[in-house]
Amino acid sequence: MNPPPDSPPAATQHAARSALSDADLLTSHIGGDPHAFSEIVRRHRDRMWAVALRTLGDPDEAADAVQDAFVSAYRKADSFRGEAAVTTWLHRIVVNACLDRMRRKSIRPVADDELVEAAERDTPMPDQTGERDVSMEVTAALKLLPADQRAALVLVDMMGYSVEDAAQVLGVPTGTVKSRCARGRAKLAPILSHLRNRSDLTRVSSAKGAELRDG
Amino acid sequence: MTGDTHYDMEILAELAEGLLDGATAARVREHLAVCDPCGESLADLAAVREMLAGVPVPAMPMGVALRIDKALGAEAETRRSGGGLKLDEAPDWDRIMADSPWEAMPDSPWETAPEPPSTVGEPPLRAVPVVAAVEEPPRPSAPQVPEPQEVVRLGVVADDGTVVPARRRRASRRRSWQLPAMASAAAAVVIGVAGVSAGLLSATGTDGGAGNGSIALPVPTTAAPSAEPSKDVATTGPAHPGRKYVIASSDFNYSDTVLRGPLNTYVGAYGPGSTGDESSDPAVMRCITRISEQVGDQLGLRKNPNPIGVDQAFYEGSEATVMAFWKNRLHNAVWVYVVDDNCRNMRPPSVSRWQ
Repeated sequence: MNPPPDSPPAATQHAARSALSDADLLTSHIGGDPHAFSEIVRRHRDRMWAVALRTLGDPDEAADAVQDAFVSAYRKADSFRGEAAVTTWLHRIVVNACLDRMRRKSIRPVADDELVEAAERDTPMPDQTGERDVSMEVTAALKLLPADQRAALVLVDMMGYSVEDAAQVLGVPTGTVKSRCARGRAKLAPILSHLRNRSDLTRVSSAKGAELRDG
Repeated sequence: MTGDTHYDMEILAELAEGLLDGATAARVREHLAVCDPCGESLADLAAVREMLAGVPVPAMPMGVALRIDKALGAEAETRRSGGGLKLDEAPDWDRIMADSPWEAMPDSPWETAPEPPSTVGEPPLRAVPVVAAVEEPPRPSAPQVPEPQEVVRLGVVADDGTVVPARRRRASRRRSWQLPAMASAAAAVVIGVAGVSAGLLSATGTDGGAGNGSIALPVPTTAAPSAEPSKDVATTGPAHPGRKYVIASSDFNYSDTVLRGPLNTYVGAYGPGSTGDESSDPAVMRCITRISEQVGDQLGLRKNPNPIGVDQAFYEGSEATVMAFWKNRLHNAVWVYVVDDNCRNMRPPSVSRWQ
């Protein structure tokens, strides 16, 4: 659990609450406990923030999306059926809030060669590029992907969730998640390899590639 | 896909994900064994995953966390008041409404025939009659000053465009937040004053989600007279009877935990109500003035601010006066001062949440 950034160490009541499971907290919330949901938020907001920020690539948009998502979760808490984990449910709401935002902004999918051109254009000169900037470039490159591929890659490759968990969050079969990830990576590969070459970074290990190639 | 032809990235990515059928996968692997460019591509694909995984995961910035807390506080308020309503008390309507169109426009639509909300303009906080907001379509020429039985309450358009009506005054023993002049001019318009139960904790605790129907349109007309439709525009001097805050004496024992907020159900929620202005202890009044000066200095205000609420109570078991001042209304932030009989701080002034 992440400590709340905005409040000092917990009071006793808070401590008691922190011993509860997410599901218990949600039940308390539905039952009228005015503080239970805050505890859920405190526990998960950093992860939700990360998902939204990576998916949307823009802090303002991400803040709006996470806020919408938490408010929505607050309102429809009683629609939570307990089949999934509370975290999965929250992730789903956050991801959907992000996807809604992207659709509303109607970010169009970009053709592959446009991706490379965009990367060329946006890439700083090699001598200005450091480790930190690579993260920014990766984020920028992600933004060029179609929303569904981006969401899948954020969950699986960036957040490190299993394909099964990501499939639950996204509400699609695991095969679909894999295929979205594959297509997304295929699009990113030329851009990112390009970035790696330009930034003269040590080549990331190709052990996995060799392993696949050799069967 | 044999000989000099290379597999494209997508096929290779699908191979890596195990999405290809056995025969195709075997064929691609065969090709990879002899084709360096395709091997490079496969390595690039593996690198994508590593680069994505290498992007640091940031914590939520505090500003965003606070924003979300605030939004959820508003939701909690909605729930507490039985749904649909979420504007909590706004103690200084004069200031909030100073920029409102009816204050600026000589021919206030509220006093004649209220326009539909869309014509009111775009001030930060737009007050619209709730009834008008739900009428479809609004009829500007319709007799908009309702019968006394159909009192229209003011609401405020929140950031997201939803109308959040002010809450209704529930009983006579309530804070007497001042009404703006327009409310008394248009006699039918009543601003519901937040009425939170005098029971401290029950205000936030047991009422949650109770759809007990305590808030419903139209508001009984009896709310109007009890709302003290007077507006003190002359002075805000603390000794003036028209003072904009109430000095409560709850005897509640405040703790640091409680003082972190939200405070609106404590300092701001109850007190002697509309009476007692004259009976205030002059020492307390002097102290409020002194603290107000400090807050004014701190915030760089030209005029010393009024407290939102003052409560003569206890702090960690000792007699204390708790005062709350707006620090930043938009951010729901208040300064909280806890002073003793001699107006000395019993704890460092702190910033707390109002709602």
